[in-house]
Amino acid sequence: MLNDVGFLALVIGFGLSVYASAAAAWGGWKGRSTWVASARNAACLVFPVLTVSVVALVAALLRLDFRLAYVADVSSQAMSPFLRVTALWGGQQGSILFWAWLMAGFVCAAVLRPWRDNRELLPWVIAVAMLTTAFFVGLSVFITNPFERYWLLPGAQDLTRALFAPRGAMPYVPSEGDGLNPLLRHFGMIAHPPTTYLGFTGFVIPFAFAIAALIARKGQEDGWIRATRRWTLVAWMFLSVGLILGGRWAYDVLGWGGFWGWDPVENAMLMPWLTGTAFLHSVMITEKRGMLKVWGMILIILTYSLSLFGTFITRTGVIGSVHAFAKSALGPAFFVFIGLTFLGSMSLLFRRLPDLRTEHELEGLLSRETAFLLQNLLFLAITFAVFWGTVFPMISELVTGTKITVGPPYFKQVTGPFFFALLVLMGLAPLLAWRRHGLRSLARTAAPLLVASLVLTAGWAYVHRLHPAAWAGLWLVSFASVAVLAEFGKGVQARMETRRETPALAFVRLVGRNRRRYGGYLVHLGVLMIALAFVGDAYFKQETQDTLRVGEQLAIGGYRLVFEDLRAYPGTDGREIVEAQASLYRGGKFLAALAPRRDYFVVQEQPVTVPAVYATLAEDVYVLLVGWEGTGYGSTTFKVYLNPFINWAWLGGGAIVLGVLLSVFPGSRAYAEASYRLRSRRLEGAETAGEST
Amino acid sequence: MGESNDGIPSPATDEPHPGPGRVGFGRPVAYGLVLGLLAMLAWGLVRAESGPRGSGRAPDFTLTGFDGRMVTLSELRGQVVVVNFWASWCPPCREEAAYLERTWRAYEDRGVVFIGVDWVDTEKEALAYIDEFDITYINGPDIGTRIAQAYRIRGVPETFFVDKAGQLRGVYIGPLYPPELDNRIEELLAEPETTTSS
Repeated sequence: MLNDVGFLALVIGFGLSVYASAAAAWGGWKGRSTWVASARNAACLVFPVLTVSVVALVAALLRLDFRLAYVADVSSQAMSPFLRVTALWGGQQGSILFWAWLMAGFVCAAVLRPWRDNRELLPWVIAVAMLTTAFFVGLSVFITNPFERYWLLPGAQDLTRALFAPRGAMPYVPSEGDGLNPLLRHFGMIAHPPTTYLGFTGFVIPFAFAIAALIARKGQEDGWIRATRRWTLVAWMFLSVGLILGGRWAYDVLGWGGFWGWDPVENAMLMPWLTGTAFLHSVMITEKRGMLKVWGMILIILTYSLSLFGTFITRTGVIGSVHAFAKSALGPAFFVFIGLTFLGSMSLLFRRLPDLRTEHELEGLLSRETAFLLQNLLFLAITFAVFWGTVFPMISELVTGTKITVGPPYFKQVTGPFFFALLVLMGLAPLLAWRRHGLRSLARTAAPLLVASLVLTAGWAYVHRLHPAAWAGLWLVSFASVAVLAEFGKGVQARMETRRETPALAFVRLVGRNRRRYGGYLVHLGVLMIALAFVGDAYFKQETQDTLRVGEQLAIGGYRLVFEDLRAYPGTDGREIVEAQASLYRGGKFLAALAPRRDYFVVQEQPVTVPAVYATLAEDVYVLLVGWEGTGYGSTTFKVYLNPFINWAWLGGGAIVLGVLLSVFPGSRAYAEASYRLRSRRLEGAETAGEST
Repeated sequence: MGESNDGIPSPATDEPHPGPGRVGFGRPVAYGLVLGLLAMLAWGLVRAESGPRGSGRAPDFTLTGFDGRMVTLSELRGQVVVVNFWASWCPPCREEAAYLERTWRAYEDRGVVFIGVDWVDTEKEALAYIDEFDITYINGPDIGTRIAQAYRIRGVPETFFVDKAGQLRGVYIGPLYPPELDNRIEELLAEPETTTSS
């Protein structure tokens, strides 16, 4: 039967991945290409085999085959087929299988590529990537198997989960499932796990290449970096989108009017994003100038380790979190794997440190290279601050016996200045030349940008006179944006002058021929849009709460909300809905009818507050139905937030995706090479590198 | 080059590359930090797997009630304290609410303190709940779920018992029914004040 086929495929997948890892390592060590070829075939097979397993589980979810404990846990008859499919990652067992499957897909794609260059890396890439895959598939087979069933043991009150019938047990098939956690039934939460997993698993590829380069003593060359550039960017993009979707979900579902709360779960995901971002930048310097090689290695190892670490602390309940899975052997298994990964990669890096010679020393205090180095340091500093704040409750409990949780104020105050410096750097770095740059010439190029941004800020400040604290934030966003836009402007102007192109044509060709560079700038603009949303959240947010009777109104920031009606009705997916009708006005003009709701999921006994939002680019009016006295015409309480600039965060996410896609889109080889000709290909030694080029 | 001292934490002076290899000077430090982190994770894991706290010193907290009253656990030495986690949206909490209040009224004069910690709730509904069951002991919101985290609750209702010396003396998961609560309180009241249980 299908369930058995799924389980069998899972076991085969585990065997294949273990074999691929071992055979590749053996082949690489002994220099036997037949073993490597065999390992490669096995590695490619893992993905289709696991696909069978995933399809079997999805089919069981769609059929509501409650013989499987997992299906009974996360689906129910009231759920639509779409939600049933998404239940694949709605619980522990399913998400681990899903994770393993995605990882196998990435590895398969990476291993299938032609491998014209870097052939000596192949065995070790397979060995590392398949070892990781084997770990996750192994978890799925041995510890959190999605194909387990419920059994009733004689004399026992509780059900037992097991794959095969325990002695004397009766199979137990519930007539109805528990259903997916209502809080997860939101597009943000449906799309958040897949994107996050794609981000986390995607980083396996650059990590595997980096480790392979270290083992094969190829770390001094940038082959592994070139080979993984697109993987890194795509993984980073998914991680970014995952973060943004998580924020959107929190904003829409959790009902506290914000999108980022410095929760351990969010931090767990932010940390690899921070180091991943630093890595992306750091390897550019390695590619161009043969510098910061150790940084690149450290950053990718950190990124991968922090992905594992984040998953571990949030999923095992080591740090309290809504994501924590139930108690199981998952924690210890994960712990061992993390320990081996940390210590293994660190000792390997230490052994190979002498290989990672820089080809150039820093030449000037002010140069593109120093800007990149500084941004690496800033990203690491933020990562450390976030890390400290996240594990501090554990440390404090260990030392003083009392768990002290540091809240958002800590994170804001500590990381704020670093983020500020990063954004200034983002504006300045493109102005700096490679190798060295004079302070005077920097001042000359930066002066117009500074003036333009100050003028813009004066405009902002006039509009927002009441919030002087916000001016710095607004200046920051203005300055960095002006600087990035000026880069586009300069390029277009140059083309118009030298090639007599129209502005539009010049723009298209400029971006089209330097996709990597302008894609990067577009990503920077996206980040700035998100920064604007954070400035809005930090300084301009307003909130009010009031209890109204029908016909009464409350006011917030120039808006008026008039309460019209409250009614209750049964909804889809097994929920009872209480919905208020309210009209939003501004200066006497009707803007929108808003219907904030409270959905009560009967089976799960869980209420979900669904806000009603009037969204514009300037701000959101975010209305929550907080409480009511009976349906009908009693008094009803609303909480209303005014969230300026918040939609820029989502737009910024779009810009990031576009920018990354633009820069990974395969372009003509000649252009890609031309833009990197600067780097000296000679590797005679570090002694001469200082003066050469 | 580096083969000679593989795996052995070497002192800072061993580092042959002062440039990019600057990380190397802290090799022992790096190993120490990672091992320390792993040790902490192991400890955290063991603790997380052990479920809610039932013994040891009761984590201190200060709760501000919905009515503005404040209570700090550590200031209640010498008294038996019952800490109940609840939420207005939680049906099993409703089952025990009246029993809790009745018991509190019965023991109020004997120096027993009840603290209601409202977990992940909205104020309006919480107040309606308190009204409905005419609850008179202090109740307040667990802002940021700090208290819930310190006690490592798994859900509501959960009830913790603190003895006169400020030690946790057990946790009850799920709704309380007579005479469970009375029995536990009587047991703790019977102890002399100076007892410092382990």
